[in-house]
Amino acid sequence: MKIATSMLTVATIILWVVILFFSVTAVYSVMNVGVNIGEAQMLPTSTGIKFSLPFSINNNGYYEIADLNLTTRVTDPDGAVLDLTETLVDVIPQGETVNASHTIEVDIDDILSMNHLTLMLNDSNFTVEIFTGLNFARAVPVQLSTNVSLPWGAPFADFSVGELSVSQHNSSHVEAAIPVSFENHAIIDITGTLKMEAYSNSDQRIASGVTDINVASNQNFGDSILLYVSAQDASKLADGGKLHILFETYLFTVDWWEPYG
Amino acid sequence: MVELDSNFIMNTVFPRVMKAALMGALTYMVVYYLPLALLPSNLPLSMLPFDYKGQLFQFAMISVFFAVAGQLFSKTIIGHGFGIARAIVIVAYFLVLSNGGILNLTVPVEDFTLNLTVDITIILLMIIAVNLLSVAKNLLGAIGILTEKSTDMDLH
Repeated sequence: MKIATSMLTVATIILWVVILFFSVTAVYSVMNVGVNIGEAQMLPTSTGIKFSLPFSINNNGYYEIADLNLTTRVTDPDGAVLDLTETLVDVIPQGETVNASHTIEVDIDDILSMNHLTLMLNDSNFTVEIFTGLNFARAVPVQLSTNVSLPWGAPFADFSVGELSVSQHNSSHVEAAIPVSFENHAIIDITGTLKMEAYSNSDQRIASGVTDINVASNQNFGDSILLYVSAQDASKLADGGKLHILFETYLFTVDWWEPYG
Repeated sequence: MVELDSNFIMNTVFPRVMKAALMGALTYMVVYYLPLALLPSNLPLSMLPFDYKGQLFQFAMISVFFAVAGQLFSKTIIGHGFGIARAIVIVAYFLVLSNGGILNLTVPVEDFTLNLTVDITIILLMIIAVNLLSVAKNLLGAIGILTEKSTDMDLH
């Protein structure tokens, strides 16, 4: 009985020493893990915008870091998921540094396919949820999460159609000038064409006009679209109706309807 | 009878009380002062989900109480009872303190809030295991004492 009690005492002491040793070295190791986050870059791509965040983790602790998982989820103000990106680092051995980069690509066509016309016309704020998980010493799983608000600049912010003005073009046609203005709040330049089709109240197509646009990021656009209408349709144009506005750029095509008159 | 009592006090009670006091002071030093001294000065204690110093003091008081009681009643059934109680109290204390092994911390960083979750279930299981060993050890000790007593009774 005494031998068994003594052995249990020895086992208890050894286990306490192991627990204390692991706890102290684990805390020390966590404090010696260096995380360097580089400068976030926001770059235009052929299909949209790319956010890139380089980071490096220097593991100067006593234990390896395994299963590092960095996940970002971008949602619009309505909660719809625009992007879900995951970056995985299998293992960061003890005494080594691992460099990685987390890249989020937002495809403007995807935004348009989700019927997010409001995002093209109005500035907004995206919510970026960041989740990080890792397994410390393959024994202590750690999770980190946070929410960051990311401002979204609309490419056609404050879009407005002004008062239509009509003048005689020639004996058979009149010239209708429709002033259009907007501000490009996006980080990408808008280069393409702006087509405008005028429809009467009875949905009859009256005329159309097109103009080239080239609006740099954070610049304003203001121009008049000229529509040539036959003399007999001039009165329909003056009665008002709706305009079909169509932007075609190398990145995307977007169209919507605006009332006029 | 008075001489017998004073002898008992001088030979048995006094050394036990002195040992218990010494053990209590030693436990207090090891459980409270040592962790505070070893704690890195740059560790942001404010981000911890509990009052570290307060909890450490509570734990030190529990440890000192059981160290003193265990020493006062050492080699008795009551002493082993205190040993079993200490193991159960420590397990319960760590279970409550660590929220069942999942620590949740909220760290405000400039404009946003960082939520940190640390799963220390393995460490908690190790603590439970070591305390279960302690329970087993004290049970065996108590059984040993009872066995000796019953043997003594048979002989007389």
